[in-house]
Amino acid sequence: MIEHIPVLLVVLPVLGAAIPLIVSLYSDRGGWSIAAVTMLAHATLAGLLVPEVWTGGVVSYAVGGFALPYGIELVVDGLSLAVVTLISIISLGVLVYARHAGPHENTFYSQFLLLVTGLTGMTVTGDVFNLYVFLEITGLAAYGLVASGRRVSAAVAALKYLIIGTVGASLYLLGVGYALATTGTLNMADMSTKLAAVGYDSTLVLTAFGLMVGGLTVKVALFPLHTWQPDAYANAPDSVSAFISALVSTVSAYALARLLFSVFTVDFLTAVPAARWALLVLASVSIVAGSALAVSQSNVQRMLAYSSVSQFGLVIAGFTIATPIAVLGATVHLIGHAVMKGGLFAASGIIERKTGATTVSGYAGMAGRTPFVAGAFALLALAMVGVPPAIGFVGKWYIVLGAVEAGLWPVVVVLLASTLLTLAYFARLVERLYFAEPTIHDEPAVADGGAEADESPASSDHRSDGGGAVSTGMIAVVVAAAVLAVVLTGAVPLLDQLLDQTLPPLLQ
Amino acid sequence: MTDVVSLRPLAAVLVSAVAIPVILSLKSRPNVREAVTLIVAGTKFGLVASMVPGVLSGTVYVTSLGEFGNGLSLALRADALGILFGLLASLLWIVTSFYSIGYMRGLDEHAQTRYFASFAASLASAIGVAFGANLLTVFVFYELLTVSTYPLVTHDETDRARAAGRKYLTYTFGGGVAVLGGTVLVYLLAGTTAFTPGGIEALATADPALARAAFALLAAGFGVKAALMPAHSWLPDAMVAPTPVSGLLHAVAVVKSGVFGIARVVLDVFGPETMDQLGVALPLAAVAAFTLLTASVIALRKDNLKRRLAYSTISQLSYIVLGLALLEGPALIGGLLHIPAHAFMKLTLFFCAGAIHVETHTDDISDMAGIGTRMPLTMAAFGVAAAGMAGIPLVAGFVSKWYIIIGALEGGSLVFAGALLVSGVLNIAYFWPIVYQAYFESPDDHDEKPLIEAAIGGRSAARADGSGVSSDYHTDGGEVPDHDDTENHDHHGGPPAGGWAASGWRGGESTWFMLGPILTAATLSLLLGIVPRSAVFLRIVETVVGALPEVML
Amino acid sequence: MTALALQLELLTTHYNYYAVMLLLGIGLYTLVESPNLLKKVIGMNIFQTGIFLFFVTLAYRTGGNPPIVTDGGGPYVSPLPHVLILTAIVVGVSLTAVALALIVRIYSEYGTLDEERLEELYYD
Repeated sequence: MIEHIPVLLVVLPVLGAAIPLIVSLYSDRGGWSIAAVTMLAHATLAGLLVPEVWTGGVVSYAVGGFALPYGIELVVDGLSLAVVTLISIISLGVLVYARHAGPHENTFYSQFLLLVTGLTGMTVTGDVFNLYVFLEITGLAAYGLVASGRRVSAAVAALKYLIIGTVGASLYLLGVGYALATTGTLNMADMSTKLAAVGYDSTLVLTAFGLMVGGLTVKVALFPLHTWQPDAYANAPDSVSAFISALVSTVSAYALARLLFSVFTVDFLTAVPAARWALLVLASVSIVAGSALAVSQSNVQRMLAYSSVSQFGLVIAGFTIATPIAVLGATVHLIGHAVMKGGLFAASGIIERKTGATTVSGYAGMAGRTPFVAGAFALLALAMVGVPPAIGFVGKWYIVLGAVEAGLWPVVVVLLASTLLTLAYFARLVERLYFAEPTIHDEPAVADGGAEADESPASSDHRSDGGGAVSTGMIAVVVAAAVLAVVLTGAVPLLDQLLDQTLPPLLQ
Repeated sequence: MTDVVSLRPLAAVLVSAVAIPVILSLKSRPNVREAVTLIVAGTKFGLVASMVPGVLSGTVYVTSLGEFGNGLSLALRADALGILFGLLASLLWIVTSFYSIGYMRGLDEHAQTRYFASFAASLASAIGVAFGANLLTVFVFYELLTVSTYPLVTHDETDRARAAGRKYLTYTFGGGVAVLGGTVLVYLLAGTTAFTPGGIEALATADPALARAAFALLAAGFGVKAALMPAHSWLPDAMVAPTPVSGLLHAVAVVKSGVFGIARVVLDVFGPETMDQLGVALPLAAVAAFTLLTASVIALRKDNLKRRLAYSTISQLSYIVLGLALLEGPALIGGLLHIPAHAFMKLTLFFCAGAIHVETHTDDISDMAGIGTRMPLTMAAFGVAAAGMAGIPLVAGFVSKWYIIIGALEGGSLVFAGALLVSGVLNIAYFWPIVYQAYFESPDDHDEKPLIEAAIGGRSAARADGSGVSSDYHTDGGEVPDHDDTENHDHHGGPPAGGWAASGWRGGESTWFMLGPILTAATLSLLLGIVPRSAVFLRIVETVVGALPEVML
Repeated sequence: MTALALQLELLTTHYNYYAVMLLLGIGLYTLVESPNLLKKVIGMNIFQTGIFLFFVTLAYRTGGNPPIVTDGGGPYVSPLPHVLILTAIVVGVSLTAVALALIVRIYSEYGTLDEERLEELYYD
């Protein structure tokens, strides 16, 4: 049984995704329960894998029983297990949030589970083409989810997201073609030995690297390939923006790391310093430009989206430095960022529902109206800035430590500056929340479920999906995210041990 | 020295952290809320004080909070230096809490619950800084201190307060980043960041260039909160905060955490000997000497009392840094002793400024002529503390400055000794007029104040007419006019139409909630000046310096 | 064979790759330049087709038979890229379907598919 878990992790949500569609024939409700049951099972499966990976290091599974390296391999090691667990937990959190916040349609929950399928698949796969397929499944589900907002602007944002996302994935596919032509294999482990045999300075190998990594950076949304992200996050229903902001870019960044370490290996980065520097420069520019763009936003959710651009710069920088300590830091920040950003989006959703505020100026004085959520928002923002002992600090600390160890001084400067850059856009928001006179005075109608939330001075859009009321469960999710952002620090030594078996062979 | 595992350092930190939710939940019952604050303050002081005898006999109380492997850990460690700061902060929290109650209620301030909760959080962080066993732990609490004091700085919720808050966050987080960078470097050079009396050995043999860089980062990072020039300008701006905040946090906890950080770096990270080898002490001393002279000169021209006090703080903090940077036994003692000495005196001064504000809504020195009849006790306390600041014997400031000057002379640094003496004279120059005009002048008959009123470098025909209405010239060459600092813009400061009413010497001038703390703080500064050894702080300081291997007393 | 002749032969025999480059170029150009959302989606399709052709070309082997095992035997072209591309085509079709559905919705609301016009309406 245990050995089948990797494939079950993928199959389970895909089956779950079909059920709400069938149920739709009889009832237009029930999707939530099905998704909840599926995700609980998913979390249980992930949990069952923990002792296995803890002791054995790696769980490998050949899909359909085809001999490796010809068949598709699924691999769960410490790194992928950490990400799978993250997917389970965040999905459950989003489900609790969506219970009341909606959307309530069955199709939403089908797409939700399909997204989980894609994300889990990307995480556990050990095959570069399979990764492409899951990348596109993730993409398809995400486009659909973004468009599920009732406002039509969501459709425009989704289409923009679709076109840019497809180009990214296509570039990745093209890179796979080059890699296949060079090595004749698609299995990651097999490919990495054959790439080494071909020689890292081969034009084919370099092209493959450029295309595959370039394609994935679109999905991660590093500057300047981030343009889809703010529109998509700001127009999606709040459950969806919390979900995809927490996971989609995260898993893409994980895939990028997987590609760097399992396919091209650290030796490649050492042999081709240009590749390492290109990624480091991209990451550093992302950190700075993302923050600068975030500062200039008036819409809070767009600001949070640009903040992701900047934070993923940090993560990718950590992965590219590629010392064990930097990779640990990048992983911690990857996970921490998912919790914090998901929580922030959920909090912004609640604040909008309760007060109608969507802009930085609209947030003025809202702490009094939504004390718990504003408190959680402030805490998450500070955690993101990297105030110790929150998780945001730990990741940054390890990445900086790795950069100093590697003697990459310019990167160290950017990494340290990122604290202040992040502070620049979060401080003004927290300041408004707590220390300014409200600019929005009338209570939005909450009882009629119509959410006539057009009080915000800068936005005439209003969200009609799911009603304006806020349930205790939604607030609990946000508060839980805030608590988690601090408590996770205590779990870092555990993660360190989990990765202890995984990273050294990858980073030798 | 013996290490004893004990939960007392942790308890001292947590007791006020635990109180935060309690205080927040008591929003509708202010009396109970304030009682909680006072009880917690008392408990905290008791916990810290209970460790003093042990520490004096060489015991160190240690609490481990968690290991991160490879030499990194979070741990609390109450050694003599930590106790010095911890005892000071927790003692003065009690005094300030009483004062806060009087002040906040006297002005009927808004958001008092948030105020008291933030105060408790700040104290928890400050004690954490005091007891941090390594740079990483100190950094954690240093950042938390920034966060928890931010609501206090921005308390007024006016544009000025928000701007000051932003500036405060930018400066201190910038400093935090430098501290982080320095910590990373120290960790990589030495493999540990744990404080060791006399310095971490591995740093003495490390690459000198990197070690210097680490020192520069740490000194700059802590120097921001210690208001070393040129990173000082957040402090005067932060004076928009309510006066108890300015008093405790900007004369005691926040700025002292910066100075304390420098002390840790000098004594327990690099150690005097390594610093001597690296040649980093002299630049630090030079910056400190420059700051203490320049700030004194600027203070001369400040008309707003709190701003003048702020510049005085900047100057006095540099005495401490200078004492540390001289690396001589007596100078170290003097520098460290100046931490409590300055705290008592400056707290007295701020409390006086606050009392004047609450009772008469007067903020500008030019409006205070003759105020001695209205607030005789307050101004007497002010005079005592001001004398101490200038280094007049029998008050705390004398003892510490004496030691520093002895240290400077022993080390042959005549320049620094000279700077200290000049600054002492400047101290008298900017404090004496306040005391003098309070008692010996009246609103209708007082001298010109050319330093404040005239433009720089020229005579001016303009002069205050004595009625106390604010005048409009910029006194400091382009900065914001000083008198905008008043919390209540709708109220004119200065004496009432009929001159100051006499209120006698028996406390009729204010509530005892405010007078009590003022007199307590003033008494403490006298005690420290007259019987420094019995007042425990000098003994703690001697224990600190005595534990350093290579310093001769 | 001289080096020049070798290069010439490379140029003349690998015309499939010209087609690949052409398709990728046309696709990308349309994707970036056309203001019409529908044409953007068409460009996206052409771009993907270029990639499909690239994979199929990779599999080609001079004189190879289709990879259907009959009694004939002999060298086969590689079946793997064909399989991959079958999958990729399915993915591409689904993407196009989603894109068209979104376009229908956008058109029914705004009455235009012009990107710049939409931008104006969008930020109103």
